[in-house]
Amino acid sequence: MRDNLLLTILLLSPLSSAALIFLINIFQKRDCFVVPPHNDEMGHCEQFVVPLRNDEVDHCEQSEAIQSVGTPRAFPRYRSRHMWKQPIYTFLALTGSGISAVLALYVGYYSYFEKEVFSSHLFTWLSIGNFTIEVALRADALSSFMLLFVAPVSFLIHIYATGYMDKDKSYGRFFAYFNIFVFFMLLLVLADNPIIMFIGWEGVGLVSYALIGFYFKDIQNTYAGNKAFIVNRVGDFGFLSALMLLFLSIPSGGFSFSNIFLSLIQIEPFSLSLIAFLLFVGAMGKSAQIPLFVWLPDAMAGPTPVSALIHAATMVTAGVYMVARFAPLYNMTPNIALLIAYVGALSALFAALIATKQYDIKKILAYSTMSQLGFMFMALGVGAYSSALFHMFTHAFFKALLFMAAGAIIVAFHHKQDIRELRGIKFPKVFKMMAIASLTIVAIPPFSAFFSKDAIMGALYASGHVEIFAIAFVTSLLTAFYMSRMMFVLFFSKSEQSADESPKSMVYPMLLLTIFSIFAGFFNIPEVFGGAMNFSHWLNLADKSFIIPHAKELVLMSINTLFIALVMYNTYKKYAYTNEIIMEENYGIVTKKFYIDEIYNKIIVASLHKLSHFFEKKISNFLIDEKINLTALAYLKFGKIISIAENGNVRFYALYMLIGVMSGFVYLYWFLRSAV
Amino acid sequence: MSILSAIIFLPILTAIFLFFVHLHINLVKIVYMISTLAVAYLAVKLYINFDASSSMQFIEHHAWISQYGINYDVGVDGVSLGIVMMNAILMPLVAIALYKQRDKRGYWINLLFVQGGIMGAVLALDLMLFYLFWELMLLPIFFMIGLFGYGKSNFISMKFNMYTIFGSLMMLLSILYMAVEHKEQFGFYSFALDELKNITLTTTESLLVFSGFMIAFGIKIPIFPFHTWLSDTYRSAPMGIVIVMSALMAKLGTYAIWRFLFALLSETSQELAPYFIWLGLFGLIYFGISAISQTHLKRMFALSSASHLSLIVVGFFIYNSYGLIGSSFFIVAHALSSAAIFLMVAMMYERVQTYTIDSLGGIAKVAPLFALFFSFFALSIVGVPLTAGFVAEVLIILGAFEYDTIIGFFAATSLLIPMLFMFKTISKVLYGETNERTQNFQDLRVHELVAIIPLALLILAMGIFPNYFIKKIEPTAKAFVDKKEAVYYE
Amino acid sequence: MLKAYMILSILLFSIGIVGLISRRNIIVIYMSIELLLNAVNLSLIAISADLADSSAQVMSLIIIAIAASEAALFMSLFVVLFRNRASLDANLFDMLGNSNER
Repeated sequence: MRDNLLLTILLLSPLSSAALIFLINIFQKRDCFVVPPHNDEMGHCEQFVVPLRNDEVDHCEQSEAIQSVGTPRAFPRYRSRHMWKQPIYTFLALTGSGISAVLALYVGYYSYFEKEVFSSHLFTWLSIGNFTIEVALRADALSSFMLLFVAPVSFLIHIYATGYMDKDKSYGRFFAYFNIFVFFMLLLVLADNPIIMFIGWEGVGLVSYALIGFYFKDIQNTYAGNKAFIVNRVGDFGFLSALMLLFLSIPSGGFSFSNIFLSLIQIEPFSLSLIAFLLFVGAMGKSAQIPLFVWLPDAMAGPTPVSALIHAATMVTAGVYMVARFAPLYNMTPNIALLIAYVGALSALFAALIATKQYDIKKILAYSTMSQLGFMFMALGVGAYSSALFHMFTHAFFKALLFMAAGAIIVAFHHKQDIRELRGIKFPKVFKMMAIASLTIVAIPPFSAFFSKDAIMGALYASGHVEIFAIAFVTSLLTAFYMSRMMFVLFFSKSEQSADESPKSMVYPMLLLTIFSIFAGFFNIPEVFGGAMNFSHWLNLADKSFIIPHAKELVLMSINTLFIALVMYNTYKKYAYTNEIIMEENYGIVTKKFYIDEIYNKIIVASLHKLSHFFEKKISNFLIDEKINLTALAYLKFGKIISIAENGNVRFYALYMLIGVMSGFVYLYWFLRSAV
Repeated sequence: MSILSAIIFLPILTAIFLFFVHLHINLVKIVYMISTLAVAYLAVKLYINFDASSSMQFIEHHAWISQYGINYDVGVDGVSLGIVMMNAILMPLVAIALYKQRDKRGYWINLLFVQGGIMGAVLALDLMLFYLFWELMLLPIFFMIGLFGYGKSNFISMKFNMYTIFGSLMMLLSILYMAVEHKEQFGFYSFALDELKNITLTTTESLLVFSGFMIAFGIKIPIFPFHTWLSDTYRSAPMGIVIVMSALMAKLGTYAIWRFLFALLSETSQELAPYFIWLGLFGLIYFGISAISQTHLKRMFALSSASHLSLIVVGFFIYNSYGLIGSSFFIVAHALSSAAIFLMVAMMYERVQTYTIDSLGGIAKVAPLFALFFSFFALSIVGVPLTAGFVAEVLIILGAFEYDTIIGFFAATSLLIPMLFMFKTISKVLYGETNERTQNFQDLRVHELVAIIPLALLILAMGIFPNYFIKKIEPTAKAFVDKKEAVYYE
Repeated sequence: MLKAYMILSILLFSIGIVGLISRRNIIVIYMSIELLLNAVNLSLIAISADLADSSAQVMSLIIIAIAASEAALFMSLFVVLFRNRASLDANLFDMLGNSNER
């Protein structure tokens, strides 16, 4: 009963606040409606159109202008008569996500210290014969672990967004989407069976679509959203197929995760591999791995809090969560697991390579996200599930922080995103936090990512796949390169630009995240440093054990750190206080992102359009419809020919009658003769 | 007079009354509303009284032309209940949404005729009765397109009716052939579904009879090669009839396949099932891809619903309880979504006087409510979770995987293909900059909201709590699948 | 004797048919129709005389009477037709066919 209430409130509080915001928001814009010069042939009813005075019409247009740029802070603030609603939205949004954050911490606490498992059964979703799907929530160690960072980080980014989106015309809409996102994410994490998980999975994709295209006035943003959702749906195609196959191969007895894992042994190896592969296709789509990664860079079209929450901290990690959730399955299919490791390695390297030549601050971070996700998949592939999850945990903090810092810069510096234009900015508070985050991501001790990345590297080394380890090593050096390149170009340059400080609502969440990204690593200190691997023990996943001598591990770590430091030093020499970034040649295959978008466009999009035209014009119209119309036409022609006789002249009809009668007689004559 | 007969004849009698008694147009609309609301009330009553543990219920039998075995037999089971409910619910909502747009008596009279015809065809258990109602629902469409249609409405109306009447004739031949066979084998004519099941046919005969039925249903649905009437007709037809055609009539074709073909010729249908599954899958992909390059909204949605109907056909032909329940659920779900989306399109046309996708844009800015509902319904067609379409698609895909893995994969492409055109359309219509057509776009008015919100709520309810709705279908499916297995093991 | 009457009747009938088909003036066509009628009348009377049964002769008398009234009707029709088209050419009156559409 307690579990039921707890989990339901945890899940539904963001949803209900989203619903309330929607309800309030829906009736806001009606007043902004410009009355049409009426063309009233059909008798429209007008009682709901409030005629506006001229100045109000003006106001609407002005706030449109504000909206079109993205955020209002660069512009003088117009007083809107809807501004009184903003505190209500803020209150609702923060209570919605705040309640779930508090409850998530509560759940995490009890799960961590008391080893409690929360579970609740809401209602039966579907039940046909054996096919029974319950809407059941369950917070075991893994789910509680996910809750532990998903809900609080969401809450922090909500606070940040109240500052970022301040005075935006679509403030309410934004927070409605944001809260729905939290709801779906929690549903994904808490679901006790894959189908409900899939609902959450699709739901976050949908909200991500809506938020990427949030500033829909520029249709390119909408297209970016479309791309994200369609590519994700390709992944979902795999995911759903896998679920169906899984369901059919499992004997009756429910479709909850525990049941699935119990009956995995009964499935024949081939279909098991197929299922594992298809599930991974789903993960590829959601977590932006090769070849389904193309949507992530474009997804940066959304407002920055969206990028921070959805495309860095939470949603994109759902793929990692899902693979970890199905860990028993992947332990039984080593080939597919290896494939995951290779895909992860390739994606990590590939993304890091592209990031070295990017100039858009958000794009750099997007590719870095993809690269870090690659790291996680490498770890998953070799069976170091808890290391992957731990890296996901730390990544959520430092990457959210990086994006938030980027957002603060973007807002303060008039929506410039190009690091060449932003060269040499002066923004001390944000700089400190961003520097810490960057040091974290390049894995400098003792920041959190050092421990998490080290755990991954150690596992990769111990797994015996040298090539994967080598790729991971190179990628981590590249990470050091592109991150420090960005930092040096932004903050260490001669030209000094400065701007107002960010508002408190943006700074304090960042501060908290900074603290987390420094100290989050201490939750899972490896044994080398005398830690107890608390998280790994708590999560209790089907990890493969990697034994690696402590001395060797220390050597590895120091070599790694040394190289990273070297790379950073060289980058400093190259980019700090020089004009290198301006003179950099921005052409070549890396700058053009290996022409992947162009290739996809040529091969898939263009050919689909051609096929569509072919189907419509050649087959439907020409081959089928034309022939049917021709048949009809042939009848028409035949009728025309015959109708020559029917000329309307009665005398001819008499003639036909005569002929008919005569031939009748002749026939009768012959008939009678032969009869007699 | 029992409830089923009341549901069938109330609209027809009202239509005849309105036809002969010349009332003022507003009065006509009021009578229409009263009649359809009464039917809706009866249908809800039927739904509540429907016993979820048995299959065929409320059977009525009256002798009619008994010397030739033609009787008045009606009854309802889980699958037909869904269509009856949809028909009863949609008709008043259509009127609420469109009542400002049409001021012709004939429009409303014809809609009433169509409603009665569909009800009759769904509930009939006698083949002759079924044929009668089948034709009764086609004729009003002829007049509707011819009188109130757009473009080359005469030509298109002729074409549509040629197509469908050709199909109906083939079906009539098959029906008559079976009746005559029954006379030869059992000594008396019969058109009753239960009795015609018993006759034995040779392979050739059953193939011919099967194809006679299949042509009629295939044209109505439409299945792949018979689809060329579709986009022109949808483009030209007035919106009331487009909604009826896409939401109800096309579904009736798939329903009739299940009700008559599978019952009468179960062995032949099972033998031919693989071909029709592949045809359905081909149609799913073909129509979906064709829709990508459409520039006309109505044509686009026409092809989209053709694509989904092909999936419904697949669901019926895979012959297991998942497929059957999925398909019958999809019939209802898609009826709701497509009716709603066509209503939205009609409202949009009223405002901007165009259907061309490229000439729209930026509606979300000026009419957020409209944009909200439009995208909601479009997404529910795509089958996004928490909408009814998702449940149905999952069930059909599950059934397809149970039938065969490869077919399962092809069926699962229904997750992908509708996305391609639907998202392109949503973004072109709703997003981007406004232009001179859309900048004065008026947001939804109250009567439009009244028509749309029930549909949205139903879609959500069916997506979140599907079990409550599926319980009514399950016994029917079970009886059907058990019987099919019995046939199979013989 | 009957044979001769019949031959005459057939001859008259044939002439009537040829006139009906080949002439364009409506009045001549009417005359041809009358010729047909009278040919039949003639054969009726001849056969009746041959069979010594007078009922056919009564019938033919009635036919002649009716034909007279018919003639009056026809004449008035001619007037109406002439008023419409200012001509009595049968080819002008072809509204039965599809010539309107052309």
